[in-house]
Amino acid sequence: MIRHIFTLIWNRKRTNFLMMTEIFVSFLVLFAVVALGVYTADNWRRPLGYSIDRVWAVHIDMKQVSDDNFDDVQQESARQLLLALREFPEIEASAGAMLAPYQLGSSSSVYSWQGRRIAYGVAEVTDGFKDLLGLELVEGRWFGAEDDGQHYEPVVINHDMRVDLFGSAPAIGRNIANEREPGSDGPSERERRIIGVVSAYREDGEFDGMRNYAMFRKTMAGGAVGGRADADTRRRDRPPRTLLVKVRAGTTAEFEERLIKRLQAAAPDWSFEVSTLRSMRESYNGFAFAPLIAVGLVAGFLMLMVALGLFGVLWQTVTQRTREIGLRRAKGAARIDVQRQILGEIGVMTTLALAAGVLVAIQFPLLDIIYFVEPHVYAIGLAIAVTAIYLLTLACAWYPSRMATRIEPAEALRYE
Amino acid sequence: MIKSYLKLAWKVLLRRKFFTFISLFGIAFTLVVLMLVTSLVDHVIGGHPPETRHARTVGIYYAEMRGEHWRRSQLAGYALLDKFARDLPNVEQMAIASMPASVYSYLNGQRVQSFLKRTDATFWQVLDFRFVEGAPFTAADVDGHRMVAVINESTRQRFFGGQPALGRTLEADGQRFTVVGVVPDVPILRVVPFSDIWVPVTTAKSDSYTREYVGGFMGIMLLEDPAKLAMTRDELWSRLRTAQVPEPGFESLDATPETLFDTIGRLFLGGQPGQVGYGRYLQIAFGVAAILFMLLPAVNLINLNTSRIMERASEIGVRKAFGASSRTLVGQFVIENLVLTLVGAAIGFVVSALALGAINGSGWIQYAELSLNYRIFGWGVVLAVVFSLLSGVYPAWRMSRLHPVQALKGSSR
Repeated sequence: MIRHIFTLIWNRKRTNFLMMTEIFVSFLVLFAVVALGVYTADNWRRPLGYSIDRVWAVHIDMKQVSDDNFDDVQQESARQLLLALREFPEIEASAGAMLAPYQLGSSSSVYSWQGRRIAYGVAEVTDGFKDLLGLELVEGRWFGAEDDGQHYEPVVINHDMRVDLFGSAPAIGRNIANEREPGSDGPSERERRIIGVVSAYREDGEFDGMRNYAMFRKTMAGGAVGGRADADTRRRDRPPRTLLVKVRAGTTAEFEERLIKRLQAAAPDWSFEVSTLRSMRESYNGFAFAPLIAVGLVAGFLMLMVALGLFGVLWQTVTQRTREIGLRRAKGAARIDVQRQILGEIGVMTTLALAAGVLVAIQFPLLDIIYFVEPHVYAIGLAIAVTAIYLLTLACAWYPSRMATRIEPAEALRYE
Repeated sequence: MIKSYLKLAWKVLLRRKFFTFISLFGIAFTLVVLMLVTSLVDHVIGGHPPETRHARTVGIYYAEMRGEHWRRSQLAGYALLDKFARDLPNVEQMAIASMPASVYSYLNGQRVQSFLKRTDATFWQVLDFRFVEGAPFTAADVDGHRMVAVINESTRQRFFGGQPALGRTLEADGQRFTVVGVVPDVPILRVVPFSDIWVPVTTAKSDSYTREYVGGFMGIMLLEDPAKLAMTRDELWSRLRTAQVPEPGFESLDATPETLFDTIGRLFLGGQPGQVGYGRYLQIAFGVAAILFMLLPAVNLINLNTSRIMERASEIGVRKAFGASSRTLVGQFVIENLVLTLVGAAIGFVVSALALGAINGSGWIQYAELSLNYRIFGWGVVLAVVFSLLSGVYPAWRMSRLHPVQALKGSSR
């Protein structure tokens, strides 16, 4: 049967080659789009680890670009701002951070350990951050006064990073500072000691593809910390760019103007901008979603075009082969045999085209071209794309194959 | 003769409505996507008012500061532009302007968001704004730290209900400005001129910007002769090489006067300092992407055309039997395919225009004025014609050379 189908396909090789090319190209397009969709969905379903209800973000514009240049005056202003937030009865909790959740922009670092390079997102936060966002601590402890003036730099990591780095081995107390490279004479980095693990944290929300996050403690203590202040530690002392506040239920937008006025009084040189995390989430996700929608729409139309095209060609083929099919029927082939033949031919052609397509597609995970996408995302994307193409071609062939069964032998043999 | 061909072509296309529909759908859809993407790109980098001297304009949009351990790259800093980019050879004028910042005003208890750009007086000479009311602020205004502003028509609508705004004041980001001029809206994607409110650079709340080498500003240069850009560039580079970097930990400064497209290419491709011409790579990347995108519609079109011709084997046989030459037959199919493609192109044109109008009207991109790019549209049509001729005429030509009897029997192999 299969051999027979191959012969039939070979007999019409020019038309069939074109059809297979079309299926091959559509598969690649579909695979790319589906893999993107799976990647997004995979990120979407992972826990965020925090709640943004009633949380407002106040962005501080310090009228300078660099975060690394700051002086004691600015540090003092930042401390004053955090103190000012405590005066308001409307505010339940407050904290400072370099970047708020859902804020555009990111900061990341790499930890080389046992020959692996592990990238992680960096969050710089003050002590109030955990309660403000309702982070859930699963191991160890959160930042506190006991970290003041220590020789190490305390770090809280998320569960994903904990599993990635240490598997099931204990994580608390481990140092994630990079060791000094042999031969380099620079000062070795200060110890970064893991003191706690939170159940989850993903700064940029549902679309965030970064799995590992580490939180560093921002104190704005000023001066040298723990005796040895290296450049990285000094960066942790820089004033926060965002203040986060959790307002009490029932607080209205009217509070916003009063809040800004108070902050403006504490730091007259700076500008402030308030937004709720809800609205930031909406605009961040809208921003991330728009290109997906555009790509999805274009791919959808392409697939529709391919489907119509294949349908047209197959229909044409069946009309053209009326005599051949009629002859088969006259020689005693049942209707179902004819239908099976048509569907079998398209099935075999799809398989050949997909085989070539899959060979191309698996180069992505094999060569690790897009490093942050995990293999299982490709695997699911591949499976969905293959299934979709089979369904598409068989659906396109269904009506023409039904049409073929309606060919009457007597009529067909007279057909000119 | 042509007339009868056209009539014939029309009849044939109507006879196989489904096939015609699929072909038209493919051609039109491909052209629409092509048009939408190119008009977006053109919107960002093309020379539309107020950038009327676009061909002579380059800018220092991007600067980088490097040290042994760190690298800071961002928009250029005011200090870098002010200290090193003034009076470069081959430069007629240079304007310094900040990236628009989002600012808030409170109007009757309502919060209003606008964009505010800080510029010098030259900005209004380098760019060709049409003034609806008043005039730009002057060098004296800038030097005198005067709280004056030029606003766009939408801002006038928001703050003053569309009434004449000259001499009236508005508050933005806690500062109060007097309106001296009103200009038409500039689309948000035109990053060089765009803003809602333009104010003198000296009105900034703090003067720390005058000390920053990297961040927040762009230098917009009007060249005397765009062909001699290298001269300008080399002079800037040699000045930067001898520059003292004021911040500890950083040793070198880099900035390049180039077109906005080159800078966009540099950002996308992760450019190296001291190298130029990234726009060329970006162009190639766009070209490859466009070809990849058109691959599927092209294969589809070829596929359809080929099988459409096969179906008409017996028609060709009859024509041949009655003495039609191969040339006549090929001519007929050329006309037929041209008609099909041009109808598809016309549909694509109308749909693109409607889609662009819808995007402009939706406010999805602030003050967008997307328009069709006729050159790209022409190329798209040419490509569609080539593919459809290749795929429709070649098989027809082969078939026209068959013996009439064979063709009549429909054995096309």
